[in-house]
Amino acid sequence: MTDVQERPHKKRRFFVDDDEPQQEPEFAAEPSLPDEINTAPEASEHVSHAEQEYTQDVFDPDTFKAVVGGEVPHSAIRSLQKRFSTNLEQAINAYFDGSWRTPSPQKPKPPAVGLKFPRALGREGSSTCSSKENGTTSGKTSPPPALEAMPSTRYIGALGVAGWTTRSGNGLLKPGDNVKIERTKQAMPQKVGRGGRPKQLQRKTQDVIVRFTNMKGEEIGRLEKDNANWISTLVDQKVCSFHGTCVFAPERIRTNDTVYLQLKCYMLKQAFEKGNFIKPLENNRQTGLFETKETTDEQDLRLRQVALVQLFQEINLQPSKVNETTAKHKREGILQAAQVAEQYDNQDATQKAKKSSTPPENGGSSPPSEENEEGEELEQDQLDTLYKKAQSFDFDTPVTEPAETFVMDLRKYQKQALHWMINKEMQQQDSERAAAQSMHPLWEEYLWPGKDADEKDLPHVASQEAFYVNPYSGELSLDFPVQEQTCRGGILADEMGLGKTIEMLSLVHSHTSPEQQAAIAAGGAAAEDSVSSLTRQLKKTDDVISAPATTLVVAPMSLLAQWASEAEKASRPGTLRTMMYYGNEKNANLQTLCSAANAANAPNVIITSYGTVLSEYNSVAALGEGARGRHGGLFSLDYWRIILDEAHMIKNRQSKTAKACYELSAHHRWVLTGTPIVNRLEDLFSLVRFLRVEPWSNFSFWKTFITAPFEKGEFVRALDVVQTVLEPLVLRRTKDMRTPSGEALVPLPAKIVEVEHIQLSQPEREVYDHIYARAKRTFAANVEAGTLMKSYTTIFAQILRLRQSCCHPILTRKKEVVAEEDAAEEAADIANGLADDMDLVTLLAKFQAEEGEQDASKFGTNVLKQIQDEANMECPICSEEPMEEQSVTGCWHSACKKCLLDYIEHQTQKNEVPRCFNCREPINARDVFEVIRHEPDDAEDEDVDNSIVAGHRLTAAIDADGEDDNEDLYSSTQPFKPDAKPKAAARISLRRVNQLSSAKINILITHLKKLKKAEPQTKVVVFSQFTSFLDVLGPALTGASIHYLRFDGSMSQKERARVLTDFANRTKFSVLLISLRAGGVGLNLTCAKRVFMMDPWWSFAVEAQAIDRVHRMGQTEEVKVTRLVVGNSIEEKMLRVQDRKKFIASSLGMMSDEEKKMQRIEDIKELLS
Amino acid sequence: MAAPLPKRIIKETERLQSEPVPGISAEPHEENARYFDVKVDGPSGSCYEGGEFQLELFLPDDYPMCPPRIRFLTKIYHPNIDRLGRICLDVLKNNWSPALQIRTILLSIQALLGAPNPEDPLNEAVAKQWKENQPEAIKTAREWTTLYAQKK
Repeated sequence: MTDVQERPHKKRRFFVDDDEPQQEPEFAAEPSLPDEINTAPEASEHVSHAEQEYTQDVFDPDTFKAVVGGEVPHSAIRSLQKRFSTNLEQAINAYFDGSWRTPSPQKPKPPAVGLKFPRALGREGSSTCSSKENGTTSGKTSPPPALEAMPSTRYIGALGVAGWTTRSGNGLLKPGDNVKIERTKQAMPQKVGRGGRPKQLQRKTQDVIVRFTNMKGEEIGRLEKDNANWISTLVDQKVCSFHGTCVFAPERIRTNDTVYLQLKCYMLKQAFEKGNFIKPLENNRQTGLFETKETTDEQDLRLRQVALVQLFQEINLQPSKVNETTAKHKREGILQAAQVAEQYDNQDATQKAKKSSTPPENGGSSPPSEENEEGEELEQDQLDTLYKKAQSFDFDTPVTEPAETFVMDLRKYQKQALHWMINKEMQQQDSERAAAQSMHPLWEEYLWPGKDADEKDLPHVASQEAFYVNPYSGELSLDFPVQEQTCRGGILADEMGLGKTIEMLSLVHSHTSPEQQAAIAAGGAAAEDSVSSLTRQLKKTDDVISAPATTLVVAPMSLLAQWASEAEKASRPGTLRTMMYYGNEKNANLQTLCSAANAANAPNVIITSYGTVLSEYNSVAALGEGARGRHGGLFSLDYWRIILDEAHMIKNRQSKTAKACYELSAHHRWVLTGTPIVNRLEDLFSLVRFLRVEPWSNFSFWKTFITAPFEKGEFVRALDVVQTVLEPLVLRRTKDMRTPSGEALVPLPAKIVEVEHIQLSQPEREVYDHIYARAKRTFAANVEAGTLMKSYTTIFAQILRLRQSCCHPILTRKKEVVAEEDAAEEAADIANGLADDMDLVTLLAKFQAEEGEQDASKFGTNVLKQIQDEANMECPICSEEPMEEQSVTGCWHSACKKCLLDYIEHQTQKNEVPRCFNCREPINARDVFEVIRHEPDDAEDEDVDNSIVAGHRLTAAIDADGEDDNEDLYSSTQPFKPDAKPKAAARISLRRVNQLSSAKINILITHLKKLKKAEPQTKVVVFSQFTSFLDVLGPALTGASIHYLRFDGSMSQKERARVLTDFANRTKFSVLLISLRAGGVGLNLTCAKRVFMMDPWWSFAVEAQAIDRVHRMGQTEEVKVTRLVVGNSIEEKMLRVQDRKKFIASSLGMMSDEEKKMQRIEDIKELLS
Repeated sequence: MAAPLPKRIIKETERLQSEPVPGISAEPHEENARYFDVKVDGPSGSCYEGGEFQLELFLPDDYPMCPPRIRFLTKIYHPNIDRLGRICLDVLKNNWSPALQIRTILLSIQALLGAPNPEDPLNEAVAKQWKENQPEAIKTAREWTTLYAQKK
């Protein structure tokens, strides 16, 4: 019906175009889309046009009179002007519906005085109005009986609208006739439009046509687009129904004539029913599983929101009660948000102008703007300004001493943090009580009108004077929306290293729930009690139950162990029960464990990972209704407190992790992060959303007052608002803050960073030079060909290889090293790049001495005995006694390793064939073996630590108390078995001295040996960005009898935790090999005090961050850092690049990928110069 | 002498004092511990028997990588020792090994006195005489010993 009717109708409209040239281009532009004609004005006295034409402060009284068509008293006009200023349309509506007489906009109820509303209308007007009045009177007015409950529909107001006819004929519609307002959705979009152009598939969503029919059910016409837009939404979403009355219609109606209708609006009862509205994020299932559906839901929500606000504006219904804070912003208003959305869509529309003009508010071809926009990035200085406010920390803030169960010493600023946090939690409790009567800040109260547009009394509903609207979500309610508990926590944004964890733990100890206090007071009694209550609890409940004694800590996996150990360290033994809830260890039913009844035994701190939260969220979502409780996991409890550590993990509000975290419920909610805003204002929103800070946690509200202004360029305004949001929420101190007396907030012991320049050995230098020449050739060739950007990866891969060859030449042959690097495509490059390079292969062969799997039979009994015997003798060369790093030649003569190698070197330099110092047999540097003696202590370690066993070429067991006649004891083939041999047995093994060694490794080992001798309890951290280098370092350390542990990204959480604990607990000299990447975030390695940086990174900041793992709060001793850098190599040049970078204000993080590449190319130019 | 004395030299010196080799003595100079005054007795049964030969011995900086430098101060008639006292001995040259010590070197020298090797001469004239007329040569050596190498 629609299309058939529209075509002829359109032709007529082209006729009309002659009268209205200004409409022409619009129509001409979209001839194929009939339903997009958004206005149907024809005469200049059109109300909607009148509005546009007046730009003065008030509307023009003459126009007004022309429209209402008669004499209007000046006083009435003045009063209308005063209230509606330029908005002629509203004024006319108000005039007709009588609400203009209302003395204040706060009381939309028309005063009970007089029924003089339609007086003195013009010839047309008077007749229409009176008849209309008659019509409605008959239809609607009745004595006002008090109803018991909300009727199925309830009147809220009336408005005047214009419509245009789609038919012609006589007497189709008379003024005063009732008309029906209908929505008929088009079934399917047309396949082909006029001119054969395909129609937009989204057309269905653009359908906003609202028809009106006469009482016979014949379609007369349609409402004008302006109003149809929102009316269609309200009708579609079953919020309102409309009853129309014709106010004016020409006697003979021709198609496209304008008619005026009065619409009475009735709210539908079902609109207030809960569940009728989709509340996004309230239901796990929806958000968890139907990700795509959510977009439409949100779109509906947004449409309804805008429609409701427009409705209230049109019927001039003002809220009777608004929250103060919200009201402050209200004036700029929700419609601004709509405008913004409109702008988005219009921009969108102009981009796609050829296809269609997207009607505003209807989303059209783009999903609702809030769904896909990510927000603009903040400039650094904007970020600084923001932080500055939050950082103006008052050093005179009172302090609070932690509870005595907390055994760590807090610094003053930490006690201040405790004070602030307890205050936050307590204050909020008080205000919660006060909030019992106060309305939720996002909601507005509206009074039901007592009289209708015709001043007739309306039925009164008992105890329902008002209804409530949330203009930010479009939700409606008949019940008073009590302000939910607002934020009961905050953002602890102290800079890394200031001890956020400790501060939080002091809070855990110092502010407990009344239930927990009661449980502690009850002591044993409660414990007994819990047995019986446990059984009660066993029947599973679907509800979320309270866990009053429990704080949930959510942290990145790498920090779980640290939380657990810090919690233990900070607490008097037995005062804090902590529980890891992770991976396989989550077998407990948390509900049973943490219920109020079990408060005396419940874990006080549950530590879990973001991954666990996410996976439980998914499984709860999959289970459906009531699953939270039944699941018995993290989501089944209402915690006393939740702490999100490194909370920037949830900075993307659309990520599942963020959504999962929002769903966790608790009394107090805290987030810890050193960077509340990483680079977008939306980052902060997600935190606020988690904290449930009303009204800011409503994204629509946030968008209206922060995102939208910011994107419109009103930075100051947006940032001001953000500051108001942040100020009460955030506590942030930085390391470089100083007390008024000038002391550092955290006095840390000194940190000494030294660069040690290393000379490559000759064979290493050859490899290096070879790769260097290659890289330079490639670079030059590409510069010449102008293909620098294209061959970026190739060049970069070669630079990478150069850097590796500085560490150890054989690294350049390892593929896995690429995993550490930026671009994955380098993998192929490295694998293929040098494969055909025979020169390099030859050079490298020197480092890959054939595996030392020498036939064990070579090592005869006597030899092993001899070696064993000689072990404690003095070195024949330097007379050191016993020998240092006893090594043997191929002919089994022992000396210190250094002496032996020095001598070989000495002879080689004289161009002599090296010969054994003892028997003058020709010897070879590669055939020098170091004798590794395994002390019983190390052997024990091996049982727990496989690393030491690894990489041994040849193992021989020797009984230290050896019986000479027992041949077997000296059998070189017999492996050492810890349980078979007593501890007295010393095991030796021989390891090729020159294998797996490089200048860098040698220097490191030398340093470590010296250290071990001088400070046998020191712990050392060795960083490298190449895990493959760590692979090589491990055996080298073993060879030097240096205990080491390893920590890298490939390890499971459990392994990591074990490594960190082992390292911290070891009393003897120990080395932690750690990859630069894995060690970047959060780790606490303050038990070490020496750091070796094996290779430079592009920016020193990354290295500095790694160093800060050791040099951070808790470090009590001076930290010495040695950066090993190969002299006269790319590494030295990288240091120069690092220095230069310090002066570039914006870090690499702020650059685009392309810019980064450019930057790197610059770097490479410098490196290859 | 900037560098401290290597442990090896100290130990050798100490041991030369504490466990002296019969017929050999080596005393370091007070002002230079790398410089030794050496006295070697002529081996019994040889033409140098009864003589006490003085030598000077110097340990270079790269000792023990390099052999010590050693020279007869006492005039001696020997095919492998030239007029300046320089000694032709493989272990002092190509066959040096850091495992050798002052003590072993001096023993080698003593042995060299007992077994002159005219086939590898340093002093051609003496070597010639030794090969052509050994009794005469031995006689001269005895005379020289009496003449120059009398114990004081």
